Amino acid sequence: MKELLTIDIKYDEYHIIFPRIIMGILILLVVLMLIKALIKRLKDGSLTQFKFKFFEENFDKLKLFGTIGLIVVYVFFLEIIGFIASSIVFMFLLTILLKGNFQRKTIVISVINSVTTSILVWFFFGYLFDITLP
Amino acid sequence: MEAFEILTPLSIILCILGVFVGIIFGAIPGMTATMAIAIFLPITYALDLIDSLGLLLGLYVGGISGGLVPAILMNIPGTPSSICTTFDGYPMTQKGQGERALKVGITASLIGGAFSLAILYFFAPVLASVAIDFSSVEKFLIILFALTVIASLSSGSLLGGIFSGFLGVFISLVGFFADNNQLRLVPSFLENQLYYGFALLPVLIGLFAITQILQEAEKGMKTASHQKFEFDKKEKFSFKVFKGQWINTFRSSAIGTFVGILPGVGGSAASILAYSQTKNFSKNPDRLGKGEPEGVIASEASNNGLTGGALIPLLSLGIPGDSTTAVLVGAFLLQGIQVGPLFITQNPDLWSGIVWALVIANIVMFLLMFLAIKYMAKIVFVPKQIIYPIIIVMCVVGAYAINNGVLFDVWTLVLFGLAGFVFAKIGIQVAPLLIGFILGKDLEKYFIDSLKGSGGDLTIFFTKGPIAIVLWVLIFASIIFSLYQSWKSKKTGNDIRNAA
Repeated sequence: MKELLTIDIKYDEYHIIFPRIIMGILILLVVLMLIKALIKRLKDGSLTQFKFKFFEENFDKLKLFGTIGLIVVYVFFLEIIGFIASSIVFMFLLTILLKGNFQRKTIVISVINSVTTSILVWFFFGYLFDITLP
Repeated sequence: MEAFEILTPLSIILCILGVFVGIIFGAIPGMTATMAIAIFLPITYALDLIDSLGLLLGLYVGGISGGLVPAILMNIPGTPSSICTTFDGYPMTQKGQGERALKVGITASLIGGAFSLAILYFFAPVLASVAIDFSSVEKFLIILFALTVIASLSSGSLLGGIFSGFLGVFISLVGFFADNNQLRLVPSFLENQLYYGFALLPVLIGLFAITQILQEAEKGMKTASHQKFEFDKKEKFSFKVFKGQWINTFRSSAIGTFVGILPGVGGSAASILAYSQTKNFSKNPDRLGKGEPEGVIASEASNNGLTGGALIPLLSLGIPGDSTTAVLVGAFLLQGIQVGPLFITQNPDLWSGIVWALVIANIVMFLLMFLAIKYMAKIVFVPKQIIYPIIIVMCVVGAYAINNGVLFDVWTLVLFGLAGFVFAKIGIQVAPLLIGFILGKDLEKYFIDSLKGSGGDLTIFFTKGPIAIVLWVLIFASIIFSLYQSWKSKKTGNDIRNAA
């Protein structure tokens, strides 16, 4: 019994003892959850039905994937074309995307929003507070 | 006055500003107190700790309180913790008592906040002095207890909650281990970037700001339509509303504070518990839900009671009481301060600064909202389409600046923003995950230290002493409580946790 409850700890293995234990617990939990789900399905007689839906009903594909895409492209260009330029372009496009139309008013708002925010953030953070910006 | 010796004028100004901005975040549906703190953390790089705490605590109190505005006026909870405020607040608005409902809620918020602050002030040092003598075994068990409580009380299944917590622990282990300087769980092409693991701040901002924005984008980001509120045609607000409600007010404040002390349980659980208790004890339970001030009081007193309560485990044990205080851990780390049992005795000025900042934040919250509520109410119409791009840019700046310009931290932000979106879909809960992530490295350290002391003997965790045994009892009690709750909910069909 004593041996069962003793872990061999060696200096050069310190770093993997705990991750192994956590990994073991995670796998155990997944197995338990699978068994639980299986029992529930057997009881309900819905073993082969698969109802899980990842996205919401009628979700806004353009806005969701557009937002994700714009963020990724924005971060990609951050250090290449600099903070102010990339932020202005990103905010302009994102505001139009989220507003969802090309009316004059929308475009004016987007331009004002993106230019003022980018310059103000640059001024306060980069200039006044001396925080590192891309 | 002591307050003005410790708090700098700047910290007081920042605190007032924080409350104001916090109320705005709380009042706009889809933006939360947690988000507000996460976004403003980067600004605190340039500030002293006491000034930054003034700002962040102001944001916290304001953010929790602002949620009542759309809850009462539009039947939309501005933050999750104001769900129950809609039950009676909105019917009151429909009856033409919008302003009265708001003022009842604001006053109850102030009382709840003040109550929990008093408990924090007296209780945190006591808890800390108990915890000061804890060895690594007890510290390990305390964190384990925190994780099981989070898992068993948060919404969703117990197994899923525990899984989320341990997944957070697992993610925190990425990087090198301080004892023997060895890397683990890092792919070889990312060794430089992930040497210290994922930075806490981008993870936090990603999970709370980016995820939220993606969720709103998925729903198509509809703006609330302008409606005209009928302000008080019939009944004016007077403090007489509270006559006969004192027991309710204090019971709800106490429930909020107590739930706040339990790690990882958010404001929604607190206000649902307080609301259901009020219903149990009410003289006219049938009228609740149809526009009774009683219900607004219960919900608002409890969710502001949470603020002080959630700070208790943070400042005495180093364990965040909810996801908002988890973000506050980031603020302390930025300034190089370790929160834990020694925090209060080693930083007495900072401790009284925190208490005073909370006092000021609560008073400012009350004055701002009480006097200017008609104007504040208009905040709910600020278009998210304009604010979200600003928030994303602020997040990117914050993530980039945390380690003085590391683009990988910005990628971490994006990665966890996306991960948070996926997690919510597949039933992984963010609160336990985050707390697991924050405490994971400590959990490992205490585990290894305990085993070093015992030569690898695992029974040390049971035989260390009476405190260890008490902690094991608590751990099992929390699991049994959770199992009992889910068994009961299967029988009766209504469950606090499901509603939360």
